[in-house]
Amino acid sequence: MVAIATRTIVPPARLRSVDGSVGRLLEAFGRVPVAAVIRRGEELPRALASHVPAVFFLRAPAFHLGPLVWAVQARGKMAFVHIDLIAGLGKDRAGVAFLAREIGVNGIITSHSGLVAAARAERVISVQRLLLYDDLGLPSALSALDHARPDIVEVLPGVIFPLVVDQIRARLSLPMIVGGFVREPAQREGALHRGALAISTSTAELWP
Amino acid sequence: MRTPGVLGVMLPAVRDGAALNQALDLGYRQVLIERGSLLAMVGPLAAAARQGIAIFVNLDAVEGLAPDSAALAFLATDLGFSGVLSVKPQLLRDASRFRLRTVQRIHALDSTGLQTGLNSIVSPSPYAIAIAPAVAIPQVMPTIRATTSTPIWGTGFITSADQANEVLAAGADVVSSGRIEVWREFSRVPVRG
Repeated sequence: MVAIATRTIVPPARLRSVDGSVGRLLEAFGRVPVAAVIRRGEELPRALASHVPAVFFLRAPAFHLGPLVWAVQARGKMAFVHIDLIAGLGKDRAGVAFLAREIGVNGIITSHSGLVAAARAERVISVQRLLLYDDLGLPSALSALDHARPDIVEVLPGVIFPLVVDQIRARLSLPMIVGGFVREPAQREGALHRGALAISTSTAELWP
Repeated sequence: MRTPGVLGVMLPAVRDGAALNQALDLGYRQVLIERGSLLAMVGPLAAAARQGIAIFVNLDAVEGLAPDSAALAFLATDLGFSGVLSVKPQLLRDASRFRLRTVQRIHALDSTGLQTGLNSIVSPSPYAIAIAPAVAIPQVMPTIRATTSTPIWGTGFITSADQANEVLAAGADVVSSGRIEVWREFSRVPVRG
């Protein structure tokens, strides 16, 4: 027997109004430009104890997500959920609405433009992933982003960022997070030096 | 009759008939159709295949083909292509029934995605594993080699000969580029294997 933890069942008062303001996130990244990527529940305590202002849940269990998200928010951090990789949850408007209304996430991460629109409708922050595996596909990926207008772009993998940052800038004025195999302090500094808003990493040693 | 495989370290990635001709003019005997409409260049491709050029197709990105058995039969039987690339294990299993060489694509975008890809490697081993983007290979090669000894191709974001050499030095067996400047640099490299 498994309890489905949602706000409907367990409504903590402070979650009545979830902060979906991208302004506060940008400001927080201005102070500490790192998001902690969480792949397994056991990685969470260290992220909670760190100074990162945002936690990205990468492979979260959709229907047992509530307590994890609320633990993040109780520390004054913002919680983001990668909706594309969640097992059991529809990758559609209803899925986004569940995360926004029942769980109370601050934002979602997705590769799909359609879900960016859904996030906007639900007033949560949208982080759209720019997945760079093919240089020939970059122009069309950039026009998709330009059209979707997410709040933030997450560029992956990190090693690509220096090669494409100028091309992206020429096309988009959106804030950029750099993620994917960012494991060394030098990579973090390099990305920030080139104008990234923040980095996202599961390497706990890089969480301030 | 068995179609030719890949020889040498450079695999030109082409998306139209003009690029195909440039690669063939430089002496390459192999190409990867990485993007674009395969159907728009089907005549020149079939002619090249008849002359023994090894043709590989990225089924995840090329336009005009369904990811199904009818498309695979067309590539193998009507066109005489050498192999296909895809992230989809089931499609690769189907492809091997048509005697196409199978190249499993794995995205190296972050550690979670890489692990998912490595866990999905088809059995028996594919002809090769294509890591995209290739420029991530120096960072991820130890993780890949901990899982598999299958030949590694690198595709995506190879825009200079230096980058290509870096990826090869990191242990890739074949590297693919869409840039003619890079093809030129490697056209004089003796074919090994």
